[in-house]
Amino acid sequence: MIKLKNVSLVFQGGSVAISNLTTTVQEGEFVYLVGHSGSGKSSFLKLLYKEYIATKGEIEVANIDVSKLPKWKIPLLRRKIGIVTQEPQLLENRNTFENIAFALEVMGALPEEIEAKTNTLLDLVELNDSAYKYPGQLSGGQQTRVSIARALANNPVVLLCDEPTGNLDPDLSIQIVSLLEKINRAGTTVVMATHDSTIVNRRKKRVIELKDGKITRDEQDGSYIVR
Amino acid sequence: MSKFSYVLKNTLLNMRRTPLLVFATIIAVLVSSFLVFTTLSARSIVENNTIRWQNGVHVVVFLDDRVTTTAHKQLEESLESYPEVRTVDYFSKLEAEEEFKVLFKDQPELLAEVDYEILPSSLRINLNDPSDYTLIIERLDGNPAVKEIRSSGEAIERLLSLTDTLVISASAFALLIGFAAFILIINTLRIAAFSKKKEIRIMRLVGASSTYIRLPFIFEAVIESLIGTSIAVGFGWAVIEYSKNSVVAESIFDITISDDYLIFLTLSLLMFSLIFGLFASFVGIRKALND
Ligand SMILES: Nc1ncnc2c1ncn2[C@@H]1O[C@H](COP(=O)(O)OP(=O)(O)OP(=O)(O)O)[C@@H](O)[C@H]1O
Ligand SMILES: [Mg+2]
Repeated sequence: MIKLKNVSLVFQGGSVAISNLTTTVQEGEFVYLVGHSGSGKSSFLKLLYKEYIATKGEIEVANIDVSKLPKWKIPLLRRKIGIVTQEPQLLENRNTFENIAFALEVMGALPEEIEAKTNTLLDLVELNDSAYKYPGQLSGGQQTRVSIARALANNPVVLLCDEPTGNLDPDLSIQIVSLLEKINRAGTTVVMATHDSTIVNRRKKRVIELKDGKITRDEQDGSYIVR
Repeated sequence: MSKFSYVLKNTLLNMRRTPLLVFATIIAVLVSSFLVFTTLSARSIVENNTIRWQNGVHVVVFLDDRVTTTAHKQLEESLESYPEVRTVDYFSKLEAEEEFKVLFKDQPELLAEVDYEILPSSLRINLNDPSDYTLIIERLDGNPAVKEIRSSGEAIERLLSLTDTLVISASAFALLIGFAAFILIINTLRIAAFSKKKEIRIMRLVGASSTYIRLPFIFEAVIESLIGTSIAVGFGWAVIEYSKNSVVAESIFDITISDDYLIFLTLSLLMFSLIFGLFASFVGIRKALND
């Protein structure tokens, strides 16, 4: 599902975010991406959806050759990937329903389609009661769930989450991870960058640890290990 | 269809966000288009009125068709011998009829009614110095072959060069104001893009195509441009209709302008306006969305 081969990402100033990294994520896997601040977690994810362009190496996501993908085809890649950022990035002037529907709207879906799909997603993230609330009226955890629902709107095969629980207290974090696991069980590959040791240790999954843009550890059923 | 209505809705929302800028843009396009429309129409009107005087005809001697053609011939020869005369051309009744048909091709009723027999033949004189036209009038005074003398003097030449100056200076202004409109459109788009920054970021994140993201901006620029030009052209037509019917105009000048020319001018301006809007939006989007 995700393949990186000798990938490097060097910024203009010369700072190295990813350094000659090679790894593979199979379809249906759930992977935690851990590491210190600045170790390259966000950069790793951004390379996958071509927010950043690799300086070197080959990247393949959902059978798309990301490294050779021309700029104008990036939207095609993004339609196969769900992206959840640390800040939920919701539109303040739209309610929960409309925020989720937005992803369908901009793809030109029909109103009936939008209605049905959005309701399914509201069910999935358990936000039926808050469908007509605006982001300002939602808790942090609820906002994250809206953002997850929106990321799932176009049935992505991969879900990339960058610290989705970064701003949440432990209980809410567990809720979010349970939701991601549910999505994963339904067949979506999930890669989640996180700082949250409790979660990683409690919910045993594959753990990839980064340091200075290199993989220092890659274990099935791994744990967080703080250094 | 749903895509299109989304784009249209967003275009209007954008425009509502910056009403003053939109207004200023439309005004700038309007003034610029109006200048182009009216000066080009005015030039066409002047040209229609002066066809006879162009190509260096300074004096027209209408001949009395009751006298013999030999007398006409003699007159032509003596005119040619005068030092101030450069050339003399004989213009037959038939040619006069042709010219009349060209001049009044927009007034078919007139063409149908007129008795072409009354159109006289004439001699068309080109002078070395147009201001010498008085000399010709003096020389031909009392000549039985002459029915009437009409001279452009320098007036027509001046009028023509004035029209050219007018067209050139108005075009310069139109260009300047057009440039202002261009800057205004770019800025409107920039502000629109800025206020929709987050929305655009999310659209990109969920994989909306870049055409889709751009369309509302392109629409906005094109709509503003087309509205401005349409109003200007509408005004222009109204002004021409008004002058056609005004008494003053009739007494000095024939407001003849062909509908074909007006339609051509209108369509060209609208086409140009469309291209202008597209171009401005492309530049604006490059700046606003930096891609
Ligand atoms: N746009 C950028 N321009 C320059 N350098 C950058 C940019 N983005 C990231 N970096 C650098 O790349 C390195 C990796 O950053 P990255 O954001 O991927 O780390 P991270 O593991 O996500 O950190 P955090 O846990 O704080 O989110 C850092 O040294 C960072 O300074
Ligand atoms: Mg990060």
